[in-house]
Amino acid sequence: MTGTAFIAPDGGVRVEHVSKSFGPPDARVTVLDDVSLTIGMGEFVSVIGPSGCGKSTLLKVVAGLIEADSGTVTIGGEPVAAAARDKAIGLVPQAPALLPWRTVLDNVRLPLQVNRRANAGRALRDPSELLTSFGLGHAMRKYPGQLSGGMQQRAAIARAFVFDPAIMLMDEPFSALDEMNRDQQRLGLLDFWQSNRKAVMFVTHSVPEAIMLSDRIVVMSAHPGRIATVIDVDLPRPRAEADYATDAFRDLEAVVRGELHRVMEAAHA
Amino acid sequence: MRDTETIDATAAVAAVDIAETRAAGGRARRTRLDWRNWVPTAITFAVAALLWQLVAWSNPYVIPTLDAIWANLVANPAMYWVNFLVTLQEVLVGAASGILAGFALAVVMAEFRIVERAVMPLVVVVMVTPIVAIAPALVVAFGFGMMPKYIVTALVVFFPMLVNSLAGLRDADPKALDVLRTLHASRWEIFRDLRFPGCMPYVFAGLRIALPLAVVGAAVAEFVAAGQQAGLGSLVTTSAAQANLPVTWASIALLCLLGVLLVSLLALVRKRVLWWSDGEPVAR
Repeated sequence: MTGTAFIAPDGGVRVEHVSKSFGPPDARVTVLDDVSLTIGMGEFVSVIGPSGCGKSTLLKVVAGLIEADSGTVTIGGEPVAAAARDKAIGLVPQAPALLPWRTVLDNVRLPLQVNRRANAGRALRDPSELLTSFGLGHAMRKYPGQLSGGMQQRAAIARAFVFDPAIMLMDEPFSALDEMNRDQQRLGLLDFWQSNRKAVMFVTHSVPEAIMLSDRIVVMSAHPGRIATVIDVDLPRPRAEADYATDAFRDLEAVVRGELHRVMEAAHA
Repeated sequence: MRDTETIDATAAVAAVDIAETRAAGGRARRTRLDWRNWVPTAITFAVAALLWQLVAWSNPYVIPTLDAIWANLVANPAMYWVNFLVTLQEVLVGAASGILAGFALAVVMAEFRIVERAVMPLVVVVMVTPIVAIAPALVVAFGFGMMPKYIVTALVVFFPMLVNSLAGLRDADPKALDVLRTLHASRWEIFRDLRFPGCMPYVFAGLRIALPLAVVGAAVAEFVAAGQQAGLGSLVTTSAAQANLPVTWASIALLCLLGVLLVSLLALVRKRVLWWSDGEPVAR
């Protein structure tokens, strides 16, 4: 199912010693300080941390939207720019960012209509089938303005899956939704991903969300943004809603919260 | 929730649906015949007309009565029609040129910032020069034909189109832009799929300012070349010079009608094209 033919054997994401600072020379703020991280093929990695820890900046560097001051990022063994040229990166931004003048179906078709050169030789998905599997089959001909926030965000995720990218970058995709809706979307994504394994970098500020979805959780500290620790989530897959209630889940939650707490304490000390 | 609506609706039907929902603006939907829609407007116009008549009856040398204006209009339909067409042509040709030129320059400026830096100061200098002052100079340069009228009309339309289009092209949704950039979409693809359709609310806001200005431009250009060419603006100046007030005011009324027609037509087109947009953006 996952057409990953064009990925080098050392596929996935490799972030090595990436640093980034912003601002004028006399008031420079270091947002990322020597961050290294790998995401293997088919691995789901969440990045969590207090605001200002640079998690969104890290995602933008991996997406090739921001250039790092130093360090390297490779995707499937290629530099980010080359990976973008091959359409190897699927981005799900914080807001759905659907085009309001296109139907949901035409929004999902958009990635197939640009940079067509990179369409050759890959397992492109059928947009309407994909939308159906995201539970949006009945809404395909509607316009984004007619959809609820959760449905819009699902369409945005479908838009990122449709061209079969090697890696998915998701920047707090559910943060704008209300809690009940958020949980529903999260489980929907889990379901879909478990049968369509891709390397995912998932930025979030929700501990249960990170645990439920991830293989590994990267905890970042702020000012400057550094990786504080990496926590393995060894809950068996496939996971489902019932896992929230297990002891293993609660134990992990305590561990992650403890790490976050430590990171925040250190920042205030 | 909206998901429960009929699902087999075609895109076209959906589009109309949204347009209607949007037009209703969240308030309870009113039918066109609801008295609240037209009675207040009608009262305002009636009061204004009455005041006009009161002044006209007691000061016949200041303004003519409405019935005198109307009588003059219906007595000379061919004369007014010919002049109306001349002004209409100036407005249409001039406005179309100004709109296209303004939009085209906006596209170039949006894509190449250096062009904006190079050209914008000159554009501003030209635009702060009173159009009334430029018009006579253009008549000297291009004669009493249609050309100076086209140029003046195009000039007044050009600036609001440029500024609004530029703001619209720059206002592309940054998150959607991020998505397209990660896909390595070309500049052209980003323009085609995001910037161009996305700037339309601004373009229509610009047109709302530009089209009434086009009528002003055409009329002013005709003032300058009065007595030589036809046109409602010329009719105003020549008849006013002869103190033929019914003709003056009938021409003014027709100029006003022309503006109303253009703005109404624009609102109609906007509703068709921009059903997806919430409201009118404000450029700078």
